[in-house]
Amino acid sequence: MATDNGIEVEGLVRVFGDEIRAVDGVDLSVAPGEIYGFLGPNGAGKSTMVLMLVTLLPPTAGRATVAGFDVAKQGPEVRGQIGAALQESALDDFLTGNEHMDLQGGLHGLSKNERRTRGAELMERVGLSDAAGRKVGGYSGGMKRRLDLALALLHRPSVLFLDEPTTGLDPQSRSALWAEVERLSREDGVTVFLTTQYLEEADVLADRVGIIDHGKLVAEGTPTALKAGIGQVSLEATPANPNDREKLAAVLARFGEPAAASPKSVAVRLVSGAEQLAEVVRALDAEGIQVGDLQLHQPSLDDVFLQQTGRSLEGEEEEAEPAS
Amino acid sequence: MSGSTLSVAMAVLRRVMIQTFKNPAIIIPSLAFPLVFLIAFAGGLSTVASVPGFSFKGGYTAFQFVFVFLQTGAFAGIFTGYRIAEDYESGFVRRLLIAAPHSRGIVLGFVLSGLARFALTGVILWAIALLAGMTVLGSPVEILAMWLLAALLCIASTLWVTGLAFRFQSVDIGSFMQTPVFILLFLAPVYVPVALLTGWLKIAASANPVTAILDASRGFISGEQTKVALAFALALGLAALMGLWAALQLRRAQRGVT
Repeated sequence: MATDNGIEVEGLVRVFGDEIRAVDGVDLSVAPGEIYGFLGPNGAGKSTMVLMLVTLLPPTAGRATVAGFDVAKQGPEVRGQIGAALQESALDDFLTGNEHMDLQGGLHGLSKNERRTRGAELMERVGLSDAAGRKVGGYSGGMKRRLDLALALLHRPSVLFLDEPTTGLDPQSRSALWAEVERLSREDGVTVFLTTQYLEEADVLADRVGIIDHGKLVAEGTPTALKAGIGQVSLEATPANPNDREKLAAVLARFGEPAAASPKSVAVRLVSGAEQLAEVVRALDAEGIQVGDLQLHQPSLDDVFLQQTGRSLEGEEEEAEPAS
Repeated sequence: MSGSTLSVAMAVLRRVMIQTFKNPAIIIPSLAFPLVFLIAFAGGLSTVASVPGFSFKGGYTAFQFVFVFLQTGAFAGIFTGYRIAEDYESGFVRRLLIAAPHSRGIVLGFVLSGLARFALTGVILWAIALLAGMTVLGSPVEILAMWLLAALLCIASTLWVTGLAFRFQSVDIGSFMQTPVFILLFLAPVYVPVALLTGWLKIAASANPVTAILDASRGFISGEQTKVALAFALALGLAALMGLWAALQLRRAQRGVT
């Protein structure tokens, strides 16, 4: 059955205990070589979905194939095709980077020579050659993430699962990891299933995005198409005098529906688009409201999430994924 | 056994050995307990050898050493299996389970690791006992057989703890890993032969499978073979039973049942 390195999911369900439906009937399809961003707040079901796709957790119902192999019935075949860097960089502090490579290669059944040459190649690629002989306990968070990615690639997987790969990384490390993921997809044809709670990450990196909330897929498409579906530019204004916030909100309400904004600001989706800006400025002036900051925003994936769920993804409180 | 299973097992073994050599303190617990017992009881209770009815040819140090040696085997298994629980807490088990095509290779790897650690601590224990003047009357083959029995106990205890680690996936279960093994070992005739025991202890020791393994091992070191077939049958049975337990718990863990 293994015909390509895509992912097919039909009606996938995972129930914990009697009631908690962590994943609730998800259907999705990831084309070979595509980067698929799986976006949602903490506790939405992203990690549970990944655990099922990497064969660590059997589905309660539904069906999923990875690289043409059924995750529930063909675990060894699936595991042979995938690489995974899960949420925690599960590394052994006593082992060096090279020793991790050797261990991972052994688990995949690579020969000693393959483990050495491929390991050195990947350590070079992720910029860890100089640190390869050092114990991982002394690595920074970014170095651990890069090593985790290199380990996931050691056996040349055709499908790569990255579960929140840049959480906790500094902007520089994040950009470097994005570049490598993009290269893997574009040059090596690796299919990437990427979960993230960072909108920017999904926007920049993913060919298509699936948004999950409470275990259900609420929206799916290319970032451009999803944002175009919202259709309206939003205007965010911050009053120079914080006491004018209510007055400001009343004026802006004449120009569109409220949108997500920072606590000190007010935002609306402009009914007629950016052309309304001059009209808004005149109205604010007429009301004597001094504006400290005024910004036009193109629709974001957060707007898509807000539209679908009535909540904003940004600033979501941390909430634990159900225990597996 | 498939090549991939062996490759996985050897990878797990290499990792445990690297950890052990980089941090030798890891083996201290599995060596310290038996060593304290040997020093305390072989010396402190040596007059037991003159009690009427005590007729062990090798002397009290050898009599006590055999128990301590078996204990070393069991403890090497316990402390190796404990690593799986630690790996669950750190998430490392996920790395193993995703990368290994067949998870039985992981279990085999931990069993081999337990045996390697037992070999290390066993050699140290033997060296100390021989330096202390322990009498060994058994032939090399008999001593090898004694090592085999202890190795089977090591396998059984590794599999027992492996099963517990797969089931509870937490180091919180640590004390429960050791307690049943402690009870089983200490309900055997540790200080005197079973013939000198009385009351409930004698009944418990007679029913305890470890008693036959202990008696056979003492027979090997003194060159007077006894209960050999029974001891090997019981040790193999115990290892097989624990293997079944570990396999069931691994399957349960893979179904996502916690």
